[in-house]
Amino acid sequence: MWFYALKRTGLAIIIVIVAVLLLFSLLHMIPGDPISIALGPRATPEIIERYTEKMHLNDPIVVQFFIFLKNAATGDLGLDVFSERSVALIVGEQLPYTLILAVVGLGWAVLLGIPLGCISAVRPNSLLDRITGVLSVGTIAVPSFLVSIWALLIFAIHLKWLPVIGAGESGDIMDQIHHLILPAFAVGLGWVGYLARLVRASMLEVMGENYIRAARSFGLPQRTVIYRYALKVAILPTITLIGIGFGNLLAGAVYAEIIFARPGVGKLIYDMVMSRNFPVIQGAVLITTAFYVVITLFADLMVAWMDPRVRESLL
Amino acid sequence: MNIYKPTRRQFLTTMACAGAYSLLSPMASVVRAQGKQVLKVRNDRDIQILDPATMVGGGEIEVQFAVLPRLVEFDYSQGKVDPMPGVTVERIVQRDPTHIDFRLKEGFKWTNGFGDFTAEDVKYSFERMKTSDWSGYFDQMERVDVQDKISGTIVLKQPFAPFWLVTMAHGVGCILSAKATEKAGGKFTTEIPATCGPYLFQWMPKQKNLFTPNPEWAGPKPDFDEVQALLVEQDKAAILAYEAGEVDCTEITSADHARFKKGMPANSKIFVAGALQYFWLGMNTEHPKLKDIRVRKAIQYAVDVDSIIQGAYSGTVEKSFGPVCPGLVGKRNKTKYAYDPAKAKQLVSEAGATGLELELKTLNQQERVLAAQIVQANLQVVGIKVKVLPLDGGPFWNLGQESKGDQWKDSQLWLMRYGSNPDPYEAMQWFRREQIGIWNWERWSDDEFEDLYIKALAETDSDKRNRMYLRMQEIMEDTGAYVWICHEPETYIHNTRITPKTAPGAEMIFPDFKLA
Repeated sequence: MWFYALKRTGLAIIIVIVAVLLLFSLLHMIPGDPISIALGPRATPEIIERYTEKMHLNDPIVVQFFIFLKNAATGDLGLDVFSERSVALIVGEQLPYTLILAVVGLGWAVLLGIPLGCISAVRPNSLLDRITGVLSVGTIAVPSFLVSIWALLIFAIHLKWLPVIGAGESGDIMDQIHHLILPAFAVGLGWVGYLARLVRASMLEVMGENYIRAARSFGLPQRTVIYRYALKVAILPTITLIGIGFGNLLAGAVYAEIIFARPGVGKLIYDMVMSRNFPVIQGAVLITTAFYVVITLFADLMVAWMDPRVRESLL
Repeated sequence: MNIYKPTRRQFLTTMACAGAYSLLSPMASVVRAQGKQVLKVRNDRDIQILDPATMVGGGEIEVQFAVLPRLVEFDYSQGKVDPMPGVTVERIVQRDPTHIDFRLKEGFKWTNGFGDFTAEDVKYSFERMKTSDWSGYFDQMERVDVQDKISGTIVLKQPFAPFWLVTMAHGVGCILSAKATEKAGGKFTTEIPATCGPYLFQWMPKQKNLFTPNPEWAGPKPDFDEVQALLVEQDKAAILAYEAGEVDCTEITSADHARFKKGMPANSKIFVAGALQYFWLGMNTEHPKLKDIRVRKAIQYAVDVDSIIQGAYSGTVEKSFGPVCPGLVGKRNKTKYAYDPAKAKQLVSEAGATGLELELKTLNQQERVLAAQIVQANLQVVGIKVKVLPLDGGPFWNLGQESKGDQWKDSQLWLMRYGSNPDPYEAMQWFRREQIGIWNWERWSDDEFEDLYIKALAETDSDKRNRMYLRMQEIMEDTGAYVWICHEPETYIHNTRITPKTAPGAEMIFPDFKLA
């Protein structure tokens, strides 16, 4: 098990390096320098040259890449081109907002999606199952940014139940929760569908197993059979999906962050791409990629821990 | 008697519902704000550098106006923009064309224990700007002489009429504490080492700029106890936030301006902050397809500017006849050309350019793309086929720059907008000979234009300056490289409980916002 964990960690590091290398290549293909974009006509050749030097853009790309990697290995992600603030600090300020949004968004999707999937599996082809199936596919098909806009128009503009923009007053937990409701709803709605469909399919497969039949024949209550015997096995692929989903949301929540004007890593990366602020883009993507890899690794380890069959195969 | 005894489940359910209700209650935010006047405005771009020497502009200037003193501020009382002494200034006069004397008021202090606001701070702040990224605004200043703690004289190399409104009244003219700035290493980015303004500033990155009262401020107290400039980068999100009552004031697009003119939200007013922007169709005079001046003049006659104003801007912008903006000396009221497709066709035919194919590049923004499509249709009528290419900011801003490669050689037509300041020289500087390959993408030059530019800078007589700038614009028009379209205003919608105030460039001046 430890060897498996070490092997996966090594693989994770390689994945992060490859992702950053790809990002480097793509970034330097994008035309435009930050100072011309930021200042327009006030960007004199001298100012442009100064910022070009700052970003090492005159160095070969390979040199830039290795300088970045070497610094990143020591925790130095560089400085913002304009504000000269640490990139690690800038990303660190935004990351908690995205993490909270991802946790709450995915959290409510898990709390609703898994029970829905279970109920659908226990009563296959019933009216409830059919309705759940249609709604699941519907919520998966609708893009999250559309859900964000609709939710905003209905609940914030028309009904005025919830706020439109922002993350709430700093230090005021209730206000921050108030501001989190709509974005978390928008981000999580599609995942309700995914999880419900996946759990339903897994449960249907597991419910046909011999040991479930045996448990029923022993007279165990239906609730015990479903939750203690069937769901425990059926949930395993869902754990992997939740890990992937959480990683996706770290940057994928950008739509919700832009529409609701919330701070977050996705919006930070988007803003920095538009302004060609390469150091911040590189640092932010490195951190989100590392998070993604760690979370999926954690999900895989959790599956390995929960499933004795996987544990045995690793020994 | 039966006494109701709720079960544990019922109790928890009731508490959860009560908690949910309190969260959803719209009264919650009102209760929190009770007791102080809070102004919430929209900020469309996060700050990057607050140091006037290296600032980017926009939102940073709004912060500077709120927390730093200036020798001169904007006065709109006469229906136009004039300079007036700043709040911290007792007197400021132009003694002669090259000397401006000032005397500060006593009692104004810097925060963080950096002592009094003095004439030495003015000297330090202005003289450091001569080697800054914004040195162009101080090129004509020789030095600042200090007579005593609160008096000094600004010495100019030659008369420079824009110095009052463009330099001293603007963000670049904000005064810093010499001691605090030097202690911080001579420069700063997002944290101002010491301030002297009605507000204190707190930056919440990617969220908002927060302004709270400065207890050490000796000047008039602003109407609002707190100002929150909420970062909302998307225009549509900002308007939705306004309609939901979450901001008191936000900038709006021309499409929304037209919509609100037909049906204004309750308790709202529109405020046009300024039209210090000029938008035009430019042509590369050195491109083989456009070298013939008859082709360029044909394009001038072929473009129906009124259609662009109606179609792309819903009629909410002022038609432009040159780069000098409304309200300024040198503002032009007509061009020599007018929309005349028949004349355009004739010129195209004379030049043997019927069937000519051109590329028109523009930023990928709604109004610009619409304008480009109208130009495309107009030129089609006269026998010129135009391909419209919307571009992202990166490649667009490189189009005419020689330092970015050879793409300037292929540039043919583009739609461009520059911003200006409340003096015509600001608009003209980008069209000089030295700007060819930098910001003079049309790549023309004229000796008379150069001569007039230098003379107009030093001329203090308004009528003479007016004639000079009119002639300069005439020269520009005669190159055939420009079709002037409009001056895009910065328009705000605000609720009627406030009266906003902005600089001519539309930067909000929070201390001067009033409760209606």
